[in-house]
Amino acid sequence: MNRKSNFPRGQKTPTALTDGNGAFWGHLHSGVTLLLFLVFSAMAILGVFVMRDLRVSHADAQKTHAASVERLRQIAEVEHEARETRQLTLYALTTDDSNLQVEYADRTREADHHVTEGILESIQRAKTPQEKEVLERLRRDWSDYISVRNEVLASSLEGSTKEALRRDLEEGVPSFDRIDQDLGEVKRLYSQDDAQGVARAAATSSRLRTGLAVFLGLAVTFAIASILAIQEGKILNARHLTKLQMDFVASVSHELRSPLAVISSAADNIVDGLVEGKEGLHRYGLVIRNQNRRMTELVDQILLFASTADRRNRNVLRPLEVSQIIESVVNSTAELAREQGFVIEQQLEANLPSVVGDVSALSQCLRNLVGNAMKYSGDSRWIGLRASLQDTGEQAGKEVRIIVSDRGIGIDSAELPHIFDPFYRSPNVRAVQIHGTGLGLSLARRIAEAMHGRLTVVSELGAGSAFTLHLPVAAAEPSAVAAVASLANPVMPE
Amino acid sequence: MRRFAGLLFIIVTAGCLLRAASEGSRGTVGATSGKLATANQNLAIIVNLANPIEDVSKVELRKIFLAERTYWPNGRRITLVMRAPGDPERKSVLREICQMNEEEFKNHFLHGLFTGEILVSPKILATPAGVRKFVFNVPGAIGFLRAEDVDATVKVISIDELLPGDKGYTLRLESRSDKQHEQEK
Repeated sequence: MNRKSNFPRGQKTPTALTDGNGAFWGHLHSGVTLLLFLVFSAMAILGVFVMRDLRVSHADAQKTHAASVERLRQIAEVEHEARETRQLTLYALTTDDSNLQVEYADRTREADHHVTEGILESIQRAKTPQEKEVLERLRRDWSDYISVRNEVLASSLEGSTKEALRRDLEEGVPSFDRIDQDLGEVKRLYSQDDAQGVARAAATSSRLRTGLAVFLGLAVTFAIASILAIQEGKILNARHLTKLQMDFVASVSHELRSPLAVISSAADNIVDGLVEGKEGLHRYGLVIRNQNRRMTELVDQILLFASTADRRNRNVLRPLEVSQIIESVVNSTAELAREQGFVIEQQLEANLPSVVGDVSALSQCLRNLVGNAMKYSGDSRWIGLRASLQDTGEQAGKEVRIIVSDRGIGIDSAELPHIFDPFYRSPNVRAVQIHGTGLGLSLARRIAEAMHGRLTVVSELGAGSAFTLHLPVAAAEPSAVAAVASLANPVMPE
Repeated sequence: MRRFAGLLFIIVTAGCLLRAASEGSRGTVGATSGKLATANQNLAIIVNLANPIEDVSKVELRKIFLAERTYWPNGRRITLVMRAPGDPERKSVLREICQMNEEEFKNHFLHGLFTGEILVSPKILATPAGVRKFVFNVPGAIGFLRAEDVDATVKVISIDELLPGDKGYTLRLESRSDKQHEQEK
């Protein structure tokens, strides 16, 4: 059988595999993708914060620099007005025209007023005690100079130019030198403060940039690692899928080849005239029929799995009597059971309510379970088939449970999580040459879920297994439940 | 005809009366204005705000203006500030305080400077604002201004305990046009 027949057109094989071992890789992909998304989101948010901090830092630096420039501008104005004050005082000394002298005196007083105001404003804006101290000293020195200036002006206006010059040289010049020194110190402090502010801002900015670079580096590294992990996961997933498909092909080939070999051999014997008599022909005919049945079942199983896997198959759900389902299963497996010497013990609770489902699908589901029970019963030749009404333990109320049990080899607890995976076959059963495709239980579970039910298992190694089909009880109004349910939306196992 | 002549007489008489009333009211306003102007013609003697002196006698004031007294009681040298020759305020001060005319005043200072009795001649300022600013800047300065030109930057001292506007205050400006004064300002 080629792959096309196994996986019909339109079917995505990895989707089917998500039910089993492939689910692990599917979950891994989803988890990694979610983690990647979360980490990138966190990084994006952090990035936004870092960018905001950078902008704030830059704005602070600009503000600090602007404030320093403004203070420097103000002190430069003070310096200019101070020099104007002195120059105008000296101009007054250069003339004996009282009108001009008065004009200079007036202007020097105006300039001196600006200086005083500028110094007071600077004191108010002083940020550090050191600045305030220097500015206070400037104010005192300026006040001293103004006193000298007034005396010089008065002497000049009185006509005592000599006296005015003497006073200016002896007192005015040293006094103004002190003001020069004070102004220089203020400017140095302002420049120093500005430089420190800019340096602080630059350091902060540098730290943030480094942080951002590290952060981006980590983000890119993480992204690459995540992409590699996803790629690796996909590769592993593909390998796993390939291995399952190869196993499946090998298994199906073997399952087909064995009956074909038997049929071929029987046919050869008949043709070669090695079969004598009517009884011999009858025996060979039975062999051929049985092998043909086995092949037909195998092909049916594969086709059914493929049809459920493509999710386009539709079953008609309607209220069914449990006895009707059980009867259908027993009838279809009776001959095989008889041939293999099995006893099927039935226990049906009286007055069981109807369930909702498709009779042929449910029959197929239970046939698979009974068939498995026969395959893995070992030396035991007993199969139990029980049906009962049970509480679901949920608000929905009650459900019908159909249990197929055997006293066979049982299932290792480590394998229980995988037995419903498509194509899964236990290494133990492979070792003892128990043939199968690994599709029976997977198909049974899909059918159960398509009927809005579920399939569970309890097993003990060496003691046997019990598979339970849980089916919801039909509603009171039969017409209400005769709905068309689609396998397009089955509740698939996680 | 008589009636017409009577009506004409009444109209002419009423017109004359209205005209007389109009001129009378205009004359009253002018008189009030002149009175105010007269009140504002007082001249004030001003000194620097730092100068402790509050009053000076007319005799002392004459000595100060003629540079016969050159130091204030606090030891500050007196600096005399005057307006330019020909200025009405100057004329009034020369007349009222120095009891001299311009020529006599000029000669007095020329003689004093020549003989060495006077060391510094008065400072001449062109405008009332100049006088005010000079006095403001020089602690020992003394000058004169029309009362209306005085502000808080200078101090007005009394003469024989009389301030401008007081009854008996004699330092007044000779008549002159307000327009000329405004131009000087």
